[in-house]
Amino acid sequence: MQEEIRLPGHVLCPGCAGAIAERLIFNTLGRNIILFGGGVCASGGAANATVPSFSLHFSGVGAGAAGIAAALEAKGVKDVTVVAMNGDGAISDIGFSKLSACAERGDNIMQFCMDNEAYMNTGIQRSGLTPWGAWTTTTPKGKQVGRKKDLPMIMASHNIPYVATLSPAYPKDFTTKVSKAAGIEGFKYLHVMVPCPTGWRFSFDKTIEVARLAVQTGIWPLYEVDQGVLRITQVVKERKPVIEYLKLQGRFRQLGEKETQTIQVSVDEASARLQQMDGKRIY
Amino acid sequence: MATKKLLDGNHAAAYGVKLVRAEVLGIYPITPQTELANQLADFVASGELKAKYITVESEHAAMSVCAGGSAAGARVFTASSSQGIVFMEELLWQVPGMRLPVVMAIVNRSIAFPGSLRTDHNDSLLQRDNGWIQMYCENAQEIIDACIQAYKIAEDSRVYLPTIFAYDGYVISHTAMPVEIPDQEDVDAFLPPYRHEYVYLDPKRYKPVITHEPHSEVGMEYRFQMEEAQNNARSVIEEVDREYGKMFGRSYGGPVEKYRCEDAEAVLVTMGSITGTARVVVDEMRREGKPIGLVKLRVFRPFPVEEMQEIGRNVRAIGFVDRNISHGSAGGGVGTVETARALYTLDERPVLIGFYAGLVGKDVVPGDIRYMAERTLKAAETGKAERQVEWIGLRKQAESVQVKV
Repeated sequence: MQEEIRLPGHVLCPGCAGAIAERLIFNTLGRNIILFGGGVCASGGAANATVPSFSLHFSGVGAGAAGIAAALEAKGVKDVTVVAMNGDGAISDIGFSKLSACAERGDNIMQFCMDNEAYMNTGIQRSGLTPWGAWTTTTPKGKQVGRKKDLPMIMASHNIPYVATLSPAYPKDFTTKVSKAAGIEGFKYLHVMVPCPTGWRFSFDKTIEVARLAVQTGIWPLYEVDQGVLRITQVVKERKPVIEYLKLQGRFRQLGEKETQTIQVSVDEASARLQQMDGKRIY
Repeated sequence: MATKKLLDGNHAAAYGVKLVRAEVLGIYPITPQTELANQLADFVASGELKAKYITVESEHAAMSVCAGGSAAGARVFTASSSQGIVFMEELLWQVPGMRLPVVMAIVNRSIAFPGSLRTDHNDSLLQRDNGWIQMYCENAQEIIDACIQAYKIAEDSRVYLPTIFAYDGYVISHTAMPVEIPDQEDVDAFLPPYRHEYVYLDPKRYKPVITHEPHSEVGMEYRFQMEEAQNNARSVIEEVDREYGKMFGRSYGGPVEKYRCEDAEAVLVTMGSITGTARVVVDEMRREGKPIGLVKLRVFRPFPVEEMQEIGRNVRAIGFVDRNISHGSAGGGVGTVETARALYTLDERPVLIGFYAGLVGKDVVPGDIRYMAERTLKAAETGKAERQVEWIGLRKQAESVQVKV
């Protein structure tokens, strides 16, 4: 039987994908890690992990982990993996310069972005990774300005050795990517979709269904950029219409047919772009 | 055999960091600290200092690197000034609370607006409330000594608090003097490798450590323990300075140095580079038979309460030369206000005058010192201060505008 690194139970909301994702991450990596996590609510569950962990505030992001990695290097410790885990707000907004700098310097860190598409810890405020159209408490009519930043591609353009998108609905794909990243020296970026029943307004027994539909509709494509070469790791033969994903979530309730169509068009375009890049060196 | 080199303050600090064998450096350049950042990069590049130098993208990241590095068991260092210190402020509260013995040089520079590249002490004194130990250096020799002492103090298990050694931008950072550089083996003997008893990130000896916000039920107890550590630091600072003196032949009299205070009726209290100028003026005035003395405040945190009380018992007037401002304070800069509290419990208190001097890089010249000394002597004579707070070297026009308003 596989050893559980996380203690049973958690302080997160029922149905939180963060707990599922963390379990997959920790059980794949084992105990020989040091965890660095900002105050993201998904990482709030990291308090349950029986591994050494260290936190700064939201704005800390990668730099604290860079310090840990530097200390290990200075001490000649080679067998310990530094795992940094931050939310989409920390990663894409308040700590973005740090993330970018860690990538540019090539700090030896495995950086996870736990993306629940808003500042969930403070009460569902919009972030740079909130999708267009989504309701949050600071976008009461839906996010009308700005699309979700394409952070995996932004990170890939830093020429780092490994970038991947992950979904808790595809655990084999998920853990394969984590294992692969663990064996790579330098800055690795793993962007995890973390469906949030509380913030996205869906029933807490639908977490995996929402996560799976995000992949099947093309909204959350699963791919990796390994040494600059992009590869789609979960091929979706026939994409489902985005409405199937949107209609499960109260945060998209205010969208009419026109807005839904706008999202469909943009997902179609993004999917086509990704298809063109499949198997090719993009950076 | 210790060697002597002509070094300015920034290079002296770099030699200090090399001698303590700092293992992780996270530094972002800012004037007037830049030569320190550059010299350390050279030491690392040449292999003279075996450290991992992280060229961070901001001061906020610099202190984040120090926090992570220190928690993971490395001896760490950073340095900054002015806006950089303000930018890292969030971390400057986290690091002492985590009881991480980070050491930082602050090359004092005024904070905008109105700011300048030149010195005053508001950047370091802004950190007076968050748990950092603070030392102020008078010259380049003291910097190298303070740097080595800072690690010894911070890493003492009775203390485990981060420590700042501060020195005035340009006046000290860019002014060269012959500096005695201690031998590596002596420093190694004085300062053993860093090993934290309680906080460490090591999968092989895992235990849960609260490094994020503790519950409100224990937060106040955290603060209490940090205050105990500040109190412990008073004797640790004395011990370390004495031990340093035995080993290297230089000590600084603990947290304050009294200069020509014997039979003094009045004393000026100074911090940093003004002290050097004040020594000359005090010598001059002593030759004229005037009973003036000088107190150099070397340690601001923990504030040397007993030492200041002892001085307060023996003089009739104290003039505190504050190279910082606390707008809207009870009267004077933070040095004056702290001193007032320290003296308050005395049965007989000396007169206390707060002098604002050298703010936003204004030069403090011997004439200014003499003026402050004369004013303090006069207060000693009459038993009262004509003005509780005085501004030194203010342009006449500004002063008259102030009066009119």
